Amino acid sequence: MNCRPVQRAPALSQNASPGENSPRQRQISRPPAALGLCLAVCLALSGCSTYADRLRDVRAGYFNGDLTFARQTIEENLKKRPKEQDVLRLERAMLELAEGRPQDAERTLREVRDRFDELEQKSLAEGALAMLSDDNANSYAGEDYEKVLMRSMLCISNLLGNGEDAEAYALQTIDKQQQIIDTGTDANGENPKLAYQRVALGAYVHGLLREQTHNAYDDVERANILVCNWQPDFPFGPVDLQRAQAGRHSSPGNGVLYVFTLVGAGPFKVETVEIPSQVAMLIADRILSNNLNQTLPPTIAPIKVPKVVTVANSVSHVAVAVDGRPAGSTATITDIGKLAVQQYDAIYPQVLARAIVRRVVKKGAIYAAKEVTGQEKGTLGGVAFDVAGVVWEATESADTRCWGTLPDKIQVLRIELPAGQRQITLRPQGLGLPGSPASQTVEIADGRNTYLLANFPGTKLVGKVLTSQP
Amino acid sequence: MLRRQFLGWSASVIGAALITPGCRDKQFARVKEPGQPDMVGSHQAGAETFKPLVDEAVVKLLERHSMPIMQASHVAGAEQLPPPPKRICFICVENKSAEEIGDFKEQLYECIDSKILSSQVFQPVSKRFVDAGLRDTRLRPDQLFSPDGQRTFAAYMEQQGQPFDYLLFAKLTSGTTRENKEYQRDYLLTLELVDIRNGQYDKQSAEISKGYHKSRVSRMWNALQ
Repeated sequence: MNCRPVQRAPALSQNASPGENSPRQRQISRPPAALGLCLAVCLALSGCSTYADRLRDVRAGYFNGDLTFARQTIEENLKKRPKEQDVLRLERAMLELAEGRPQDAERTLREVRDRFDELEQKSLAEGALAMLSDDNANSYAGEDYEKVLMRSMLCISNLLGNGEDAEAYALQTIDKQQQIIDTGTDANGENPKLAYQRVALGAYVHGLLREQTHNAYDDVERANILVCNWQPDFPFGPVDLQRAQAGRHSSPGNGVLYVFTLVGAGPFKVETVEIPSQVAMLIADRILSNNLNQTLPPTIAPIKVPKVVTVANSVSHVAVAVDGRPAGSTATITDIGKLAVQQYDAIYPQVLARAIVRRVVKKGAIYAAKEVTGQEKGTLGGVAFDVAGVVWEATESADTRCWGTLPDKIQVLRIELPAGQRQITLRPQGLGLPGSPASQTVEIADGRNTYLLANFPGTKLVGKVLTSQP
Repeated sequence: MLRRQFLGWSASVIGAALITPGCRDKQFARVKEPGQPDMVGSHQAGAETFKPLVDEAVVKLLERHSMPIMQASHVAGAEQLPPPPKRICFICVENKSAEEIGDFKEQLYECIDSKILSSQVFQPVSKRFVDAGLRDTRLRPDQLFSPDGQRTFAAYMEQQGQPFDYLLFAKLTSGTTRENKEYQRDYLLTLELVDIRNGQYDKQSAEISKGYHKSRVSRMWNALQ
């Protein structure tokens, strides 16, 4: 009720001389100029389709095994959309891995990792633009789970390449999680990121690499304790821990095969409408419009926010056979779908708050424009500004950029085998019939680890089965 | 006039936002000059802790063993020969502290190994032979103290032309004392040298205590006390 604009604007109107009224009338009679500017600005700043629309084709191609189509779609979008370059390169890295080029995948992931690290610093210019348009104006710095998983995928890519940097990537996976949580405290001292579920894959890989040294069992024990704490439902965790405490890497003459599988289609973001907030905001702006000197643009345009969603996974695990004999089944070391939803839910209030602040800023800008141009409440000019405000708000899109080709789960199986060549057969198992088998010959080295990676988004292998050279 | 001002102001703000790069900087680094202090780990031990620990523990161990041993002789005027350097097999650095030491572990090994090698008091066996020995015998470091384990390992190393007299272990431990939200952590690096012929051992330790504080004020207050 004590709002200054309520008192100041009528006073200006009362004190205005007839000579001063005529320019104002000219202003009122020329709303299309201001409107045109507003519309031009907001249309220029806002896009129409979202990343989710483009990701649909990439996911369809990748998860159905049409890697050529997925690659073409990615390459086309890479040329057209500079703000999506980084996230598209993440999609490309997954493709490179599936195509059997782990070194290329590693290089791509490393570049994006460095770029995301750089983008963790906020840009004022982008922040201001995002307030005038939407979050798509910001460079995409990745969701927290993506930053961690990027390092995990680097780890896997490197294990399948020369393996020299895998331990560094594993340590980075652990460190990054801690860093994200440590810096998650907001101005009120609250830290929603404390609730984050941790990615156990980094600790797991660190443990298996240390175990291969045959003398760092204390490190292996620590790593396996982390795995047991961070992924308590990982069935091999206690066995690995026990081996680290009292066992050994393998018996003389044997080596170890680690079968990693990327299972199911992972989470992605969709645009959703935040109806309760929209209704609440509409009521609030109507109340304010009745009491202020000017009306505010009504919140008719939906408040669009991104949401992380998952899809049903048809593969529960992958059965592994060695030389025709069953050797076990893979188990989940990292449930990406669950992790992504849980982490995103923790920060969702912040995402929503940003969308609401943006609306307030836009309404405030329209209000100020009306005041400055001397619009009268209820006049055609004022209504025109409100319409412009509604259009401005309606051009917002949710920022649905995300790493959309991640699997739903990363699974692993450790098998100790006699040294020599072995024929490995993988068969995805789900709720229905078993999927198509995929076979690969691997070389097991005495006292060393060998790694194998296969991608089963559904009941059929996508891409190639990759193996490391011991 | 007001409208022009407003439009002009708006255009300037939008223009500035579009043109200016904002506050996002590139990461940068610099090479530290010798003698410049190390950064101090705010949450756990780092170079500021490990470097002096290694220096002190290794120097103490070398000092103790660099004493010249007089060779007994029945012949008057016989030349006193310096004893041959003891061959030691540095097995590993064990981290039994409350903290992850991550990439420091390998560096600790290398630092200790290099210092011992350059002292010429001992003659260490190359880590590559040690790793190969443990891999091929499938022995855990703790199994080197069972008679069978020790015999197997010593025989393997001899077979490789790398006999040794002593086993060396480095162990990092910590003790934590809490005072409300702050805590002190004492880091102890112990070097343990075990004579494989008779089981006699020697130990040298170095200790550093470090206080972790929630704020600069608290750190200063503790420093004044």
